[in-house]
Amino acid sequence: MFAKRFLPAVFLCGCVWLPAGAQQQEADSVSKTVSLDGVVVSAGSYHKAAERASSLPLEIADERFLRQHFTGNITQTLEHLPGVHSMDIGQGFSKPVIRGMGFNRISVAENGIKQEGQQWGADHGLEIDAFGVGRITVRKGPASLLYGSDAMGGAIEISQSPPPEDNRVFGEAVVMGRSVNDALGGSLMLGIRHDGWYARLRYTEQRFADYRLPADTVVYLSQRMPVEGRRLKNTAGFERDASLYAGYKTGAYASSYTLSRTFQKTGFFPGAHGIPDASRLADDGDARNIDLPYSLVEHLKAASRQQYVFGDGRATAWIDLGYQRNDREEWSLFHTHYTGQKAPEKDPDRELAFTLDTYSASARLRLFSPGSRWEHTAGWDVQAQRNRVGGYSFLLPSYDRFTAGALWLTSYHPSPELSISAGIRYDYGRIRSDAYTDPYLMAYLTGRGYTGEALESYRWRSYPVSRRFGDFSGSVGFVWTPGGGAHQFKSNIGRSFRLPGAAELASNGVHHGAFRHEQGSPMLSSEQGWQLDAGYTYESASVRLSVSPFFAWFSNYIYLRPTGEWSALPHAGQIYRYTGAEAVFAGAEASLRVGLTSHLAWELTAEYVYTYNVDERVALSFSPPAGVRNTLSWTGGGFSVSAELQSVASQRRVARNEEATPGVHLIHAQADYSARLGRTRVGLTLSVHNMLNTAFLNHLSFYRKAEIPEPGRNISLIIKLPF
Amino acid sequence: MKTINSISVLCLCAAFLLPCAVSCESSGDTAKPVINLIEPAEGDILVIGESVHFEMEVSDDDALREYKVEIHNNFDGHQHQASVRSGEEESVPFYFERTWSDISGKKNATVHHHDILISSNATPGSYHLEVFLTDASGNEAYLVRNVELAYEGGDHDHDHDQAGLF
Repeated sequence: MFAKRFLPAVFLCGCVWLPAGAQQQEADSVSKTVSLDGVVVSAGSYHKAAERASSLPLEIADERFLRQHFTGNITQTLEHLPGVHSMDIGQGFSKPVIRGMGFNRISVAENGIKQEGQQWGADHGLEIDAFGVGRITVRKGPASLLYGSDAMGGAIEISQSPPPEDNRVFGEAVVMGRSVNDALGGSLMLGIRHDGWYARLRYTEQRFADYRLPADTVVYLSQRMPVEGRRLKNTAGFERDASLYAGYKTGAYASSYTLSRTFQKTGFFPGAHGIPDASRLADDGDARNIDLPYSLVEHLKAASRQQYVFGDGRATAWIDLGYQRNDREEWSLFHTHYTGQKAPEKDPDRELAFTLDTYSASARLRLFSPGSRWEHTAGWDVQAQRNRVGGYSFLLPSYDRFTAGALWLTSYHPSPELSISAGIRYDYGRIRSDAYTDPYLMAYLTGRGYTGEALESYRWRSYPVSRRFGDFSGSVGFVWTPGGGAHQFKSNIGRSFRLPGAAELASNGVHHGAFRHEQGSPMLSSEQGWQLDAGYTYESASVRLSVSPFFAWFSNYIYLRPTGEWSALPHAGQIYRYTGAEAVFAGAEASLRVGLTSHLAWELTAEYVYTYNVDERVALSFSPPAGVRNTLSWTGGGFSVSAELQSVASQRRVARNEEATPGVHLIHAQADYSARLGRTRVGLTLSVHNMLNTAFLNHLSFYRKAEIPEPGRNISLIIKLPF
Repeated sequence: MKTINSISVLCLCAAFLLPCAVSCESSGDTAKPVINLIEPAEGDILVIGESVHFEMEVSDDDALREYKVEIHNNFDGHQHQASVRSGEEESVPFYFERTWSDISGKKNATVHHHDILISSNATPGSYHLEVFLTDASGNEAYLVRNVELAYEGGDHDHDHDQAGLF
């Protein structure tokens, strides 16, 4: 009986993740983004609706979850969801990994617009203002139907909190402090709603110092490097974001407009950058300065949506237009191995610079008749990109990329218990990269005695590449919720493909820190595979169980293969060439939540990913280790207190030249208080991460190679004051 | 009861995955090749203007591919550029990099050569000598030695082919 009271409360509080499926979110985000007529979907019903609507597993992080796991970095927050990992470089940059797939196999969309940055770059994070996020839906498995070829591994959909129901001025102030890097962040939001009009402005700033780690030395390229004062030198940074969102709705017409800019400046640890040099690691007495080397990242986004509902909801059409500009620069004290090369007069220390312009448009038409068992969605997406490069060093050429896709999704509901969905999509892509020859490199190699063919192969830093790709992706799935809805079964099979990225086709250079020489292959075929997903959910008054296994087979999976050849580029390691191979991914996530008493709950989540490169008979690199989280939580009267034991298994299934990473047990604790204040709720969260200050390595961290342990104990406080 | 059902489903799922984790073990070669660098030894002096006596044993469980030797300064920010020997041109920090693939395909090899020449205008001081080795499937190994570049050799020097010099 108590559990009957308890469970709906859990749903409403929303710290629950539910597997559900794919095709609905677009429609959801539409109704959410533009529905201003006061229908607020509660967290529980949103979860249930999402779960019933589609055949792919998904995880939902709502406002409370996001606050409880807030770090100022949205990817690190998502790591608390089973099947999702964060690939980090220290504290500043993180990119999401879903079931072992990351980089350009994951799409991130904010308010329906696919985020485009330098996501292929190993040390490039996600440019999203963590303070402005209202809800996140993570789709695990092939989401290519919705987001195009880059979403074969999954999609992360970010949306803002819905506008208030009544006409008023509203706002929110948030402050955050973190002890591990002395971070201080704050965000202020002001909004107004008046009848059909709605506008919201947000400003966020975060500053953080060099982060603390429980180690005195790290090892970089076999050199033991000191960590002065147990703080990783020059990992300080700051972030400054601003966004404006506006919407208008009258009758059947609705529109929304977004303008946002994020800016980050973050230092890199000089002990794992370029050539090992202990002199650069001496304590400079200032944990907050950002010295060379550092990275500058700016992301500007302008987007709009126009939506019209025809014939009492029988048809809904919308058009999204977007422009994004992403600037990324890496600064490092000018250095060269070529006698002829002089530092550029302007910005002499700018090592790498990329400017990516993205223009995108998409249209959707959804057909649904009341009483009908069918629902259809037709869609069209087009995107054009131009990437320009600069800096005294070279990694990736300038390129143009154009993609267009057309899709058709259908869902059929023969009974209230069963829903069958299917979809097909065709994508066309064209990529052209500019040729680039390096006169300094040529002189250098000639001076070293290289001639003929060898010289010719290195002289081109980038070959001219012009490729066209086109292929189908499709999926079929079902959701079956028999009887009263305690059990739910779902399954989905999809064929996906991915266009090779510019880096995979045309990169040719040494990435500082990575040390290896990464080489594109101009003749790569597109990535292709089949993905099978299943899900089972059981729900009773006091128990919730969810299991979602998956299996994927790729006939052509692109990865960086070590060639065994040493690069002739100065200070370069082995040549790694992008190569296609047959590959297998398999695994599962499971979660079990048991209400022990009306206040006490125990939750267990577990995840496992198996990767296998069939051609080479080894694992793929960056395979996430298996993990289990045991959480005991007590909830009552606006308070919630929880303790968590996180166990990460060792990862011994490694790719070539990847070290095995030992397992670890970590203890985290958290207290959350939320109280009614007028008509809003004040939220306060205090959490302690890695309570015992355990030194451990993260298999997915960019700094893992340098044996730099993860940050030590972190105490963080978040206060959220809506008004 | 239903709880028990649920837990048994979970266990079943775990039982399905566990054998895969254990038995689908990969069998591709991930073993690193092995470098045993005999000369130069740690702390050795490499004489400016002379060639280096280089000697090592390398091996791999499958097949070796190629090795690279790199010498770069370890000045740690101390400026050595101004170091000028009387009556000679200004010295420059020495840098050497070269790859040899004559070991390719072998399981074991002994390398012995004098191909590395320390140029006569090299700045004396402390340097790193690094050896990088790959096997046929791209597994790599590397090793770093601290060496000294100096105009005069120390006691510890080439022993066999230059024995007559001392």
